[in-house]
Amino acid sequence: MSLDIRRSSASVWGSASGMRTAQVVSKYIDTTTCIGCKACEVACQEWNDLGPVATEQVGTYQTLPTLHAEFWNLIRFNERDFDGGLAWLMRKDQCMHCDEPGCLAACPAPGAIVQYANGIVDVNPDQCIGCKYCETGCPFDVPRFSATTGKMAKCTLCVDRVSVGLEPACIKACPTGCLHFGTKQDMLELAKGRVQQLKGNGFAQAAVYDPQGVHGTSVITVLAHGDHPEYYDLPVDPHVPWGVKLWKTIVRPLGAIAIFGAVIGAFGHYMNHGRKGVKGADAHDANLPDA
Amino acid sequence: MSTVAPPSRRPMDPAVLVARDQEDVLVGNEIIRHKLSSRVLHWVVAVTFFGCVFTGMPIWTPVFGWMAHLFGGLTVCRVLHPWLGVAFFLSVLFEIFDWASDMRFRSDEKGWWGPKLIRYMRWEEVDDENVGKYNGGQKFFFWTAGLGALGLLLSGLMMWFPQSFPKILMQLAYLVHDATFILFMVAIIFHIYLGTVAEPGTFRSMTRGTVTRKWARLHHPGWYRQVTGEDPRRP
Ligand code: HEM
Ligand code: SF4
Ligand code: SF4
Repeated sequence: MSLDIRRSSASVWGSASGMRTAQVVSKYIDTTTCIGCKACEVACQEWNDLGPVATEQVGTYQTLPTLHAEFWNLIRFNERDFDGGLAWLMRKDQCMHCDEPGCLAACPAPGAIVQYANGIVDVNPDQCIGCKYCETGCPFDVPRFSATTGKMAKCTLCVDRVSVGLEPACIKACPTGCLHFGTKQDMLELAKGRVQQLKGNGFAQAAVYDPQGVHGTSVITVLAHGDHPEYYDLPVDPHVPWGVKLWKTIVRPLGAIAIFGAVIGAFGHYMNHGRKGVKGADAHDANLPDA
Repeated sequence: MSTVAPPSRRPMDPAVLVARDQEDVLVGNEIIRHKLSSRVLHWVVAVTFFGCVFTGMPIWTPVFGWMAHLFGGLTVCRVLHPWLGVAFFLSVLFEIFDWASDMRFRSDEKGWWGPKLIRYMRWEEVDDENVGKYNGGQKFFFWTAGLGALGLLLSGLMMWFPQSFPKILMQLAYLVHDATFILFMVAIIFHIYLGTVAEPGTFRSMTRGTVTRKWARLHHPGWYRQVTGEDPRRP
């Protein structure tokens, strides 16, 4: 697997030479066959050497209320009343590895967030300055700041495993086969097939969640209630926040031009108008006579 | 027992001595413009401001990434910046209390933002011989700088603790911090230009504390009349 970098935070380019072609990879998550066993949570903790996190009891099976700097893979449990009864919706929550990552767009530290040519979005803790800008940039509320390390942390899509030809730890641990890993194209095929099945089984609204607002993600999710991603705590139409785009692509360059412009402007003013109240070629401060 | 030499025999510049705690007075041929405490305060404002600038700008864009090396890297900048920011705001606050009484707008000083400012920058006379200790442009800059410091503080505090605010407000905070900083930079570049090369004799008022009579008559004739009792037009 190629680890060429397609995009790097606060940098003009990544390091991809374009000589090798990397397939975009993706996780496949079928929420309809997830049984909420949390094997993936454990596998993630183990592979990534993450410490234990004390849970909060809020009357649910969910391990933690939300993702954590030491907990990157969380099965969310949502209960919903339908005419026919109760639906218990489980979804694997983690970094979505957006094709257009808002975290990367917001990050001010060169190389702290990179997007590999294979689509994986990763954090380099040695470059991260802990400013938390990525939290505002992410439409999925994923990056978490660790007070212990002073750095941001999130799912790496097991880039260390993927780069040597292994599947991510969570995928390997799943007992029902609701998780798969492969090229994005293959995973989309798989997902489409599963959606057809679901439609045949009476879930007319079943759909693949691969939000185009961020140009698709490297985690695609099959939802039985595809018309209501919010039932699964997923944003309906995620995109890089407008404020972040305005900040980074308009205000920043215009601001730099304005600041350089002011320096040039002051210099131009000096050439055009000279000093106030000074006459003569070699007049200067000390030449200003008293009284 | 302390031994203070009588002024005549002590080898000390009387203007500097008086400028320790007095201003708007004539000493010899100089007028004291800023007493020592005001000068120190202004330098604290300047140092904390540029501390913020040099730690903030490398975080703003990698074009200014080299500034981070002045402090030992981007991480150090990120940690220092908010504290320098708070120090900057507090020193601006003290300066506002120090200078507010001289900065009240007079009725004839309206419109400095616009036509009068342009006329001033063309070295045309504005407000003529009525210009007091500060002209309308300086007053305008003083109050907008205070407002800008408040805007940087509020947006900066949000950026310091982003988890405490809704994400939509955070987007606004980044935009406000950036826009205020950019306007501040443009203004400060002209502030420094005017206070040094463009208007000779001005910088001295922030070091030695004094200005010459000619300087006062040229830039602040109303103030000159007030301090010396003489007509600025007929020296
Ligand atoms: C008044 C109190 C201030 C506070 C509390 C504050 C706080 C912050 C914080 C928390 C950040 C994010 C980076 C970090 O965590 O260090 C930041 C960024 C920044 N600050 Fe401030 N700041 C203040 C004043 C200033 C001043 C006076 C300037 C310069 C005129 C300035 C210029 C900047 C710039 C250029 C950035 C980078 C913004 C970006 O990445 O777009 N700040 N500030
Ligand atoms: S989900 Fe959030 S953290 Fe993950 S790649 Fe997208 S924007 Fe970045
Ligand atoms: S916390 Fe780290 S990864 Fe997130 S934006 Fe700041 S430097 Fe980038």
